[in-house]
Amino acid sequence: MGRRGFLRFGLAGAGAALAPGLLSACASPAASGGANSLRVWDLFSGADGVLMEEMIAEVTRGPDAFEIDRTILEWGSAYYTKLAMAAAGGRAPEVAVLHLSRLAGYAPGGLLEPFDLELLAEFGVREGDFAPAIWQRAQWDGEVYAIPLDTHPFVYFYDLDIAERAGLLDSDGALVEMGSPEAMLAASAAFAEAQGGIGVLFGHVTDPAQNWRLFNGLYAQTGNTFSLPDGGEPEVDIDAATEVVSFMQSLFDGSTNPNNLDYDGAVAAFTDGRGASIMVGEWEMPGLRESGRPLGAAPFPNVFGKPAVNADSHSYVLPRQENPDPERRRQAHRYVAEMLKRSLAWASAGHIPAYQPVVDDPEYAELDPQSSYAEAGEIAVLDPPTWFTGSGSNFQIRMSSVIQSALLGDTSAASAAQQMIDESATLLDQPNPVV
Amino acid sequence: MSTTASKVPVTEEAGGSTVPAAPARRRRTGLFFVLPFTVVFALFMVWPIVQGIWMSFTDQSLSLRGTEFVGFDNYAEAFGDPDVWSSLGNTVFFTVISVVPLVLLALCMALLVHTGLAGQWVWRLAFFAPYLLPVSVVTMIWQWLYQPDLGMFNQALDKVGIAPVGWLSDEAFAMWSMAALTVWWTIGFNFLLYLAALQSVPDTLYEAAALDGAGAWRRLFSITLPQLSRTTVLVVMLQVLASLKVFDQIYIMTKGGPNGSTRPILEYIYDVGFTGYRLGYASAISYLFFAIIVIVSIAQLRFMPRKEG
Amino acid sequence: MSAPTTTRPRSLPPAGLRRRRPQEAAGAPLLLGHGRLPRVLAGGALGIFALLWVLPFVWTLITSFQSERDISSPGFNPIKGALTLDAYRQVFDRGTLPIWAFNSILTAGLVTLITIVLSTLAAYGFSRGTFRGRRALLAVTVASIMVPPQLLMVPLFQEMLAFNLVDTYWAIILPQVVAPMMVFILKRFFDAIPRELEEAARIDGASDLRVFWSIVLPLSRPIVSAVSVFVFIGAWNNFMWPFIITSDPDLMTLPVGLATVEDAYGVAYAQSMAAAVLAAAPLIIVFLFFQRRIVKSVATTGLGGS
Repeated sequence: MGRRGFLRFGLAGAGAALAPGLLSACASPAASGGANSLRVWDLFSGADGVLMEEMIAEVTRGPDAFEIDRTILEWGSAYYTKLAMAAAGGRAPEVAVLHLSRLAGYAPGGLLEPFDLELLAEFGVREGDFAPAIWQRAQWDGEVYAIPLDTHPFVYFYDLDIAERAGLLDSDGALVEMGSPEAMLAASAAFAEAQGGIGVLFGHVTDPAQNWRLFNGLYAQTGNTFSLPDGGEPEVDIDAATEVVSFMQSLFDGSTNPNNLDYDGAVAAFTDGRGASIMVGEWEMPGLRESGRPLGAAPFPNVFGKPAVNADSHSYVLPRQENPDPERRRQAHRYVAEMLKRSLAWASAGHIPAYQPVVDDPEYAELDPQSSYAEAGEIAVLDPPTWFTGSGSNFQIRMSSVIQSALLGDTSAASAAQQMIDESATLLDQPNPVV
Repeated sequence: MSTTASKVPVTEEAGGSTVPAAPARRRRTGLFFVLPFTVVFALFMVWPIVQGIWMSFTDQSLSLRGTEFVGFDNYAEAFGDPDVWSSLGNTVFFTVISVVPLVLLALCMALLVHTGLAGQWVWRLAFFAPYLLPVSVVTMIWQWLYQPDLGMFNQALDKVGIAPVGWLSDEAFAMWSMAALTVWWTIGFNFLLYLAALQSVPDTLYEAAALDGAGAWRRLFSITLPQLSRTTVLVVMLQVLASLKVFDQIYIMTKGGPNGSTRPILEYIYDVGFTGYRLGYASAISYLFFAIIVIVSIAQLRFMPRKEG
Repeated sequence: MSAPTTTRPRSLPPAGLRRRRPQEAAGAPLLLGHGRLPRVLAGGALGIFALLWVLPFVWTLITSFQSERDISSPGFNPIKGALTLDAYRQVFDRGTLPIWAFNSILTAGLVTLITIVLSTLAAYGFSRGTFRGRRALLAVTVASIMVPPQLLMVPLFQEMLAFNLVDTYWAIILPQVVAPMMVFILKRFFDAIPRELEEAARIDGASDLRVFWSIVLPLSRPIVSAVSVFVFIGAWNNFMWPFIITSDPDLMTLPVGLATVEDAYGVAYAQSMAAAVLAAAPLIIVFLFFQRRIVKSVATTGLGGS
């Protein structure tokens, strides 16, 4: 007998006796939304949070207006823990935002409901509207569990004026190719000289993800896959991993480019004009632009040959409900579709809309510098799909801290690569709690 | 607590003497009084304890997949899990650095207030008020005090020319910061216990000592402190157990960071069970920790002076 | 607290006199000598402690009356800043604080009520009862005082899943009403009440419940109110269990909501401090009015009713 069956059998009677009565009469008497409002959860605070607030305000106006009860929870493991617990509890919100990289921890465990593609098509959203690389990650076991809102890659921002002075712009005014580790190092030196300061900024100290983001993209460029098969051993090319880490070490050598910045320190160094370029998520774009520097952006330089960019995708999911209401579920589909169609506004924060009709919109092409890295959406590399990886996960924290020791000079590149494999093996050794 | 053992037989005799008066009725007297509590006690104390033991032998998950019996696998894993040991170490470290000031400072405060200086209610309010704050209010306040650029502490350091400190982000400081906050927040409770104990020291003891010509320090060391020994044992006992169970303020402020340096064992149980879905494994760690608590409690009970001497 | 008899000197004045302080002690309290210096030193030490304890409150209050922009400007001195009520206005505009306060009052109130009803009944039953298994049940109850409720979070969550109660008020309340410590404290109190009154009423034909209600409870008012205050403060400030069992922000209690739910606009310190002031206010105000009773409640209940 399954555990739920076992428990329900013995205790359902008691539960039935306890549940109704006094409090169900006033269940959530102070609920901020009405009985018909759609409950949506996300983890956007700050610039993204305000933008999302505006997009939601837009769908709550007009003839077919929604009533939306929005909840923002703290980004990271806190959010994902609450989402899983709410879904297990059966009274989860109708719609929630999930990083696509975390789908493998949710869909197989029954914590999400699949989307009804016919219903979505009725509201104007179809498979063909998404980049295949992303759409493929939204599925599990033949069903679609996530509808991507955006792709948010790790990109490369630079000061246009300094790039020009350093001779790093091509005739179209775009950043020149940096097709090898040597080319990238040379470009970094040229940037540093033109800047009279730091060439490439990267903040990673005590950061839970930055090192992994940089590594993951570069490693994929070597043509290898960081594979974590369920119940097996990690399949990682240790030579390629070593090469990537040692490239990171030589790029952030502590002289041309500092190796000991933290996230905020690196961003501040760029906005204060102390560095020529910065490797960071595109979501920092609004803040970087506010500094007044002429901002250029490129998809991540293709250093090792195969085009690949580390990215993730904010997606909409339908958390499991104990007693789903068909009409609400329908409204949830319609809400997701409406938000996707309005994702041009979302792009103003730097994100690449996942819904291709918006990307093809001439208005999007006018967005600068967003449109210059739009192709990153097609070569996005997410975390290896398994239950313990993804944004805000312990896996990213552990990988990042290993690389941090390498960048700070406490570990060699080779032993860092080995340690990453060992730590992955330890995580893989845990019994998989979702399948 | 140890005192019950000696209490129970006393009442037993008193109750027993009335039994012959109405035997049939007496046999179930009190049963219906105890029943409602017993039901709730069984449902929300006994059952979860039993259920938790069962879970600790399974691979139960928060996700909806089935459950299998895994024997002692979880316990074996826990003994070899470095995070169990490091979070346990953090918990013990926190307990040591929080209990000492929470007991000694509370005693000092209570002694000072008990000297009868003017403004008794002001002192009581100042020291006890933080105890009435919900933990989130405490963490909001201290997050702001510890704020790296604008917080009160770093601004004060700046005024005297000392470089700012990463109160919550520096591994060397984070746990001390959590202990300082905890002392500020909860000391009022111990303070009140000591104050009440001081007030119940019979005046006659002091009078007799005064007649003998004992000075203030003599009276403190030969009367006051010995009279407080029972309270001290109780306060230490309650405080050790409370500190071992630390979770709230650390989870809210640092989530166990930086780099796991403040993560207490209860947070690890939460992380494993709810963030990592592994309810079975989390249960096993819970019971290991419970075993430690029982051992600590028993050890402490041995130091308890007998109340009825 | 009963004073230990063993250490008391033989040559004591009669019990009736013991309460009265001798004349010379009225001005010079017992711990200090007669000189001026010790008093100044003690007062100084106390003043420093009090200042340290009050400072965070003052800093919080000052911050809450500043504008967000002023606070984040470099080199800002909060003491000189212009005062504004903006932060409070924004907190009220968000509208979540009253919901959480309502939830806290509702759940803490019900926890207290149910705990008191269950615990006084049980304590009386244990004290006066003669039913079979009483001693064993009492022993189990007392032993369970050692079980920290935090360690039951995983199985309790699982149980709430089985009852289908996750994300309901009942799930917040029910596990909190099991208070073996309070049963123990009340039982000790009831044990000390002489039985003659009850026996007399029983001879007059009063039922057990009636005896309990009209004779025992009125005599127990002080201890019951002490226990109530203690239970209420505990439930009001409880974080971990409500945090685990509620995900729906409309059901969250004050401490959980404040720590969990974020604002679209990110961290705003003035607002955060205004919310802290508002959330702290209820219990602090209650304390100002009922200081004596609360102090007494903590002192008696905290030490296990001794």
